[in-house]
Amino acid sequence: MTQTDLAAFLAHSVELESEARERYLELADAMRAHHNTEVADFFMRMAHESGLHLEEVAQIAAENALPDLKPWEFDWPGEESPETASYEAIHYRLSLRQAIQLALENELAAQAFYASFAQSSADATTAELAAQFAHEESQHAAQLSVMLKELPPDDAHHREDDDDPHMPE
Amino acid sequence: MNDVITFKAKDYKSGVKPIWCPGCGHFSVFNAVTKAMAGLGMNKDDTVLVSGIGCSSRLPAYVDSYGFHGVHGRGLAIAQGLKVARPELTVIAMGGDGDGFSIGGNHFMHACRRNVDITYVVMDNEVYGMTKGQASPTTPMDWDHSKLTPHGPGVRPFKPAALALAAGAPWIARAYSGNPNQMAHLLAQAIEFPGFSFLHVLSQCITFCPQQTDWKAIVNERQDAALEDEDEAARLFLHEDGFQTGLLYQRQRPTWPPEAAPPNDPDLTGGFRL
Repeated sequence: MTQTDLAAFLAHSVELESEARERYLELADAMRAHHNTEVADFFMRMAHESGLHLEEVAQIAAENALPDLKPWEFDWPGEESPETASYEAIHYRLSLRQAIQLALENELAAQAFYASFAQSSADATTAELAAQFAHEESQHAAQLSVMLKELPPDDAHHREDDDDPHMPE
Repeated sequence: MNDVITFKAKDYKSGVKPIWCPGCGHFSVFNAVTKAMAGLGMNKDDTVLVSGIGCSSRLPAYVDSYGFHGVHGRGLAIAQGLKVARPELTVIAMGGDGDGFSIGGNHFMHACRRNVDITYVVMDNEVYGMTKGQASPTTPMDWDHSKLTPHGPGVRPFKPAALALAAGAPWIARAYSGNPNQMAHLLAQAIEFPGFSFLHVLSQCITFCPQQTDWKAIVNERQDAALEDEDEAARLFLHEDGFQTGLLYQRQRPTWPPEAAPPNDPDLTGGFRL
């Protein structure tokens, strides 16, 4: 990421938080449809928290004219925005522990993204905002780490299904 | 295209909640469709999504545009008819590998040959998921996870890009569900291409083919420009591993139906005189 312009940074921040919220909402709905209520509730909580962060970022962004980027024009370090849970990591039998671990990885990826902006931006306002966002993400990550520590380990059979979709001979 | 209101991708979602399995690659295609529509600023009222039958064919219900959930394998027939009747509409046909290459295989070949200006998205997960996991035309020969084919189908899988090229498709690309932003960009290009554009999507089925999560490590993005030479493309499509993504082939040719010349005689009834 080489962009240091405040408007570009804010455009990326709004998209990052918006995509994180949308993905968590989608995952919550999908998990609920498959009766994994515990994980659905957790993803819904994450969607709510992403929504709060989105509101904060959008409020700051509203004072700036943001570039009108198409969805594929954002310059992300990976295939998708950093706080977005990858579909490959999801399974309908996901345990709460695995879901929290996934969310923790997302928060850390977002923190790294913002921190890289804070370090590389030549613009003082951008660097300051990016450092603030990175700090907020690190706080979210810390909360999730505490949740993980308080959880008992997964049952070895948590992925077993009474109606297993696989039917090998 | 709409110049007045700017929609975000989420604004193209209908509000009907998908019931695909969590982790299904079709979620990614759904996201790519809405992102492509937002990126192009498409007018919902001028867009029609047409599908066949199967897990992937549920997608039109989830998009806030016009949609037609058709008959198994017949999405392309409906889509082409619609485009010919209403050429001002943007028509996107979609479905799965079974719907497109088996039940609708003949429609696929002739749609490539006919070159009507539509886009066709095939979400290929190498399995019939809706009916609980039977081998499809793209299933590997040795896939033995179904009671119907306990030792694997024993038939070599289709090569969709090669089939499309041989049948005359002028625009062939491949995307992967693990990269929805690249997919959205390819889909936007497909929609803008004036002719039949075929987007083959490697879309994982997490439930019946969990080994497809390995695709992430295998998929590679094509760095070269799209091939224009049919022979070169044929060599590529026959010998590649099928995991190269990007715009692979593009060669424009006249679309169907050809533009009719204006009648010389303004009295149209003349053509019907004995």
